[in-house]
Amino acid sequence: MGNVLEVKGLSKQYSKVLAADKVSFEIGEGEIFALIGPNGAGKTTTIRMISTLLTPTAGDAVIAGHSVVKEPEKVRECITYLPDEAGAYKNMTGIKYLRFMAGLFHTDLDAVNKSVEKAKQICGLGERLNDKIGSYSRGMIRKLLLARAVMTGPKLAILDEPTSGLDVLNAIEIRKMIKKLAAEEGMSFLLSSHNMLEIEFVSDRVGIIAKGHLMVTGKTDELKERYNAANLEEVFERVVLENEVH
Amino acid sequence: MKFINLLKKELSELINLQMILSLVITMGIFMVLGGVMKSSINEAVEATKNVTINICDRDKTDFTNDIMEALLAVNDDPDENTKVTLKSFETTGSDYAKILEDNDITNLVIIPEGFTAAIEKNERPELISIERMTSTATMSNITAGNNSAISLISNCVASTIAADTGITSEQYDLMEVPVSIRSNTVVDDKSAEVSSEAILGKITIQNMILPIIVFVLIMLTSQMLMSAIANEKIDKTLETLLSAPVSRLAIIGSKMLAAAIIALINAAVFMVGFSVFVSGSTTEITEAAGNIVNGSISLDEALSQLGIALNAGDYILVGLQLFFTILICLSISLILGALVDDPKSVQNMLMPIMMLAIVPYMISMLADINELPAPVKILVYAIPFTHTFTAIPNLMFGHTALFFFGLIYQVVFFIVCMIFALRIFMTDKILTISLNFGQKNKYKKKKKGLLLRMRNNSEELK
Repeated sequence: MGNVLEVKGLSKQYSKVLAADKVSFEIGEGEIFALIGPNGAGKTTTIRMISTLLTPTAGDAVIAGHSVVKEPEKVRECITYLPDEAGAYKNMTGIKYLRFMAGLFHTDLDAVNKSVEKAKQICGLGERLNDKIGSYSRGMIRKLLLARAVMTGPKLAILDEPTSGLDVLNAIEIRKMIKKLAAEEGMSFLLSSHNMLEIEFVSDRVGIIAKGHLMVTGKTDELKERYNAANLEEVFERVVLENEVH
Repeated sequence: MKFINLLKKELSELINLQMILSLVITMGIFMVLGGVMKSSINEAVEATKNVTINICDRDKTDFTNDIMEALLAVNDDPDENTKVTLKSFETTGSDYAKILEDNDITNLVIIPEGFTAAIEKNERPELISIERMTSTATMSNITAGNNSAISLISNCVASTIAADTGITSEQYDLMEVPVSIRSNTVVDDKSAEVSSEAILGKITIQNMILPIIVFVLIMLTSQMLMSAIANEKIDKTLETLLSAPVSRLAIIGSKMLAAAIIALINAAVFMVGFSVFVSGSTTEITEAAGNIVNGSISLDEALSQLGIALNAGDYILVGLQLFFTILICLSISLILGALVDDPKSVQNMLMPIMMLAIVPYMISMLADINELPAPVKILVYAIPFTHTFTAIPNLMFGHTALFFFGLIYQVVFFIVCMIFALRIFMTDKILTISLNFGQKNKYKKKKKGLLLRMRNNSEELK
């Protein structure tokens, strides 16, 4: 199984703050990798650099053979990015939004229609897709955006807090959908979340990040065993404490 | 294909019911205002053509009877366009309000007792003019009746005195208008037999319309593009758009083009609406101005003769400058829009553009920028929009060097602004840059408060 993403010593310096410090990890094809960490740990900065939105101060990330520094346009063809608290165009109907976004990824009308059909099935919004997005609830918008992020079949879908704003049942549905897409279509996922239980359920491997450092990466079971922890929350607590002591 | 997709999205964001309603309302307001002005002016003009003279002869002499007959005789004169209706009233006393009310009239001229006697004694006789004022509106208070009566009576008195002193009617006419004027206007080395007032009257309308259209275009284009960018940031849709496989140039280009298209539609509506308004209020005035031209030469011919009529090439140049004005506006708005991260700031950020537009707009309406003191002139010319407001006068009066300097300056200004804008949009500055004066001030105040507390604590310790 080849790597879809290889992050090599990625750093980002904002005037006086080192938001990400030599972050390195990789994601295999069909793998779900999650970055977990407290607020301000550097999760979003790392994700934004991989999504070509921020230029790294040092290091690089290679997605499907393309460098985010040297070939950002090529990278954008292989990824989709769902930012945390992202919105959609309120004056558009759901279906128009999907069609518009699909049109940015494909020039072929058949491919656009295929993507939109897929998104319609995934989001489960039915007839509400014909209503303006301004009338949607936060959960409905999130489902629409998630469907948008996976409808074009990217090699790597980058989802920042994918289930934020969703109720328990919808969140479970989304987690199942992510697992299914990874297993059946070989789509790779880079997730970030505060919700450790969610990450434990959905991800194949996790990376714990704090103060811009990626402290540890590994499979959830391996990490639980290594840190003698009952769940990922305890692993996270011990990793953070251990690094503070050192 | 992707660009068209983006452009369609930008246009659909800008064209909404609110925008269409505002266009319809704007057009409606201009049409109603034009209609009101036209009917008011027509009424006033009609009032001057159909003069009703209300007169009261309290002197009752042969001379005043002759005056009354002379007033009526005006009506019989085929050369006179004015139709005079003379109404005679019998009044007493000096309660003029009551006199007007009792006789149901709004104006009256009284020839008082002793009018003829005063003339016979070579003294200046007195007329009493009474007019009812009903509002402060200029048009509603035009009462041609009294003015005509006073003018006609004055003529009667003057011609009577002239006859008494042996002056013939031809001599009297000559005294009345002792000289006739052949007006000539010179522009550079060309001249035409036309008065400068007539020329100004003719070009005033075009000089009024273009600056207004330019001003509307600048404000609308800026507001729309800044809002389009700011809304993407505020609604958190920008990151999704920037991470999609579409070039940043296409994203910027589609936003700029959509804003320009909508601004041009708005400007066209303003232009048509304002033309309706202006034509409603100035038709009679321009007709009057047309009469000032001597001989057979028309105003258009006079403008051509003076070399100040704009030809097709001039209009293309003006259009080109207008195009660069919009481009400058768009590039400045791109930069300012990138700095904004809340809806309130959009309004604040519009201020610099508004000032850049309003200063040359006001100055060009009131004064000749070339006549300003050198430092002020340099400052005003440094504003890129100044050259758009001065484009037509510069081309009309042959200041082509100044026009092309303005055009080149605008091109350079646009390139510089666009380089800045692209540096923001092609890098991650678009997501990291922002101006938040409020927060900075809060931070400064907090820091100042903290420093003060620390100083107080250390003083207490001492």
